[in-house]
Amino acid sequence: MSEFGRVLRVEARRSALLVAVPALAGAGVIAAWLSLVPGVAYWDNSVVALLNAVLLLGPVAAALSAWAAVRERNLDYLRDLTARSPATAALLDLLLLAAGALIAYTAVTAVVVTSTLARAGAGPLHPLGVPVGASALVLHVVAGYLAGRVAPRPATPVAVLALSWPWAMLREPGRSWLSLLPPPAFGRVALFTGLRPGVLADQLVWAAGLTAALVLAYAGWTNRRAFVAVPLAVALAVTAVATVRLASTGGRAVQAAPVAPACREWPLTVCVHPAQRAALPTLTAAAVPLAARLNGTPAGFTRVEQRPLTEPTVVAGGVATVHLDEELAPGYQTRAVRQIRDGLVTARACASPAAVRYRALVDAWLLGEPPPQAPATAAARRFGGWSEDRRRAWLRVHFAAYRDCALRASSFTGPAAGRHKGGKHGSGPSSA
Amino acid sequence: MIAGNSAIVATGMGVRRGGRWLLRPVAFGMAEGVIGIAGPPGAGKSTLLATFATLRRPQAGVLEILGHDTGNSAGLRAVRGRIGYLPGRFCWAETMTAGEFIGYAAYYKGMRAADVDQALERLGLTESAGTELSLLPPDVRLRAGLAATCVHAPALVLLDEPLNGLGDAAAAETIPVLRSLAPTVVVTAGSAAELTPWCDRVLALEGGRLAELPPHGAGRPVPLPAAPDAAPGRRRPSVRPLAALLPRIVLGRMAAGSGAGV
Repeated sequence: MSEFGRVLRVEARRSALLVAVPALAGAGVIAAWLSLVPGVAYWDNSVVALLNAVLLLGPVAAALSAWAAVRERNLDYLRDLTARSPATAALLDLLLLAAGALIAYTAVTAVVVTSTLARAGAGPLHPLGVPVGASALVLHVVAGYLAGRVAPRPATPVAVLALSWPWAMLREPGRSWLSLLPPPAFGRVALFTGLRPGVLADQLVWAAGLTAALVLAYAGWTNRRAFVAVPLAVALAVTAVATVRLASTGGRAVQAAPVAPACREWPLTVCVHPAQRAALPTLTAAAVPLAARLNGTPAGFTRVEQRPLTEPTVVAGGVATVHLDEELAPGYQTRAVRQIRDGLVTARACASPAAVRYRALVDAWLLGEPPPQAPATAAARRFGGWSEDRRRAWLRVHFAAYRDCALRASSFTGPAAGRHKGGKHGSGPSSA
Repeated sequence: MIAGNSAIVATGMGVRRGGRWLLRPVAFGMAEGVIGIAGPPGAGKSTLLATFATLRRPQAGVLEILGHDTGNSAGLRAVRGRIGYLPGRFCWAETMTAGEFIGYAAYYKGMRAADVDQALERLGLTESAGTELSLLPPDVRLRAGLAATCVHAPALVLLDEPLNGLGDAAAAETIPVLRSLAPTVVVTAGSAAELTPWCDRVLALEGGRLAELPPHGAGRPVPLPAAPDAAPGRRRPSVRPLAALLPRIVLGRMAAGSGAGV
């Protein structure tokens, strides 16, 4: 082993990296895991989970680095009285500490990526997402370490933690462009939107520029060499440009992200965001009965599409649009079918209390729910006694009255109901 | 002329710490040989030694080490590789083995593995190289510290209370080693009595004043001359010859101190 390797090994042992790296990795994995949306594999949110891990890892790594710097000051009598550059010892320490932090970060990244891949991750890959987190982490290491070098006191690591923790944790995502400064605070990225690559690039440049500026300033100060001023000025200028660019975003880190949907073609065409393709079987099974009951009516549909939360849900032109919970919480398919049902009717006020009850009666049937607990009426008794086919035929005749909440007792009598008994209409699914 | 041979030349140099003068501006020189600095605990011996080691800057005056002005970066870099310094508490490295410790020092001094082996052999540490410093007896641990300090064959060695904690027999065995480390060796101790028997020259530091003690403890201490034109915070541009500044008056022994260095 070379002298350099031997010194690195000794330094690594002294800076307790064997303890620090697993501890950092464990904390980072927990933080990232808590940020991952259960059941959803969206690369944008994987990047956010990774960066959320840095919000925790950064302050801890900074405090650890400050502690190492304070501790290593006690060996300055060996390290500073050197024929090498006076910055050698500090740069070696930084090399080791940054490497340790990055090993932990790599472990967190591996867990997040594996988790996303295992759930067939969707959405655009963001190669910049990983280095953004890494650069923010290294910036914390450098800043914490240099704080420990400049103020080698036992309280310094605590002070570093006390300053970096609020900076990481208290900036609310999207409220201000300051939340985009590394370590960036991102909120959950909604489906059909994505992180702006330009923001990630600026964050990477900002963290790298500031890190370089800190290291160069320290090296220049310890070496008392003026030539460092030029690269230092360049690093500061790059950081300033990145700051201006981030400020110009106004805190908006996401943009609309068109995506090719994942579809299931039979017996209905059901299309969802690819991150939620796992919902296709359940959603299809829930939508088919409603589609069959609406077949032949003006609201008949043969296609269900998931839409962004910013767009309303409608049933038109044979297409029913729905929203899905981002986390696919239990009952999401029922809620989606209710959205379709809500898209059938107008917002017009019901003609009478009786009309409300009649609509509820039909709603319960459409949604496959038990009939509402209401005073028994002749209409309700008749509707309850009809076969499925007869109800469908009845709805084809009275759909307009149902839509406008204008059903009356007489709507449940007359020849229409019987005329279409057993009939099949339309081109969509005909039975549940 | 002493100025020409002096390893340490201070001109109007003053050292402050915690808002008080540990050494009021004074002019002196230290030539080759073994120089002892005695003083009670808190007198500032360790701080003064760290200043000689260029790890601290004097608050006043000019300090030249081995012919280089430590006030400028070129001089500082030139001289740092020629100084060996062992503070009173070097046990911060106690988790290292003796061999690792010396190898660690050697890396920063720009030395090779062969130099580490030589240092181990020279100080009789070959068998102890694989033992952690904390597990070594105090005298062997001190020798490991000395090996790390001198692995690069420095021209000036600064040792802060090296004999502290050693028994009489171990101290007697160590003193010849200390005398042979470098052309100029500066050691501190809490008591002048610990230094006068074996140091070529002994200075006493107390109350911010540095005084010369006579050889072998006879006579009274004589303060070194203060620098009349060296106001605190002001650095002097040139070094004056020191022969006239270093009166050799036979003085009595100082009262012995007992504390560790600062």
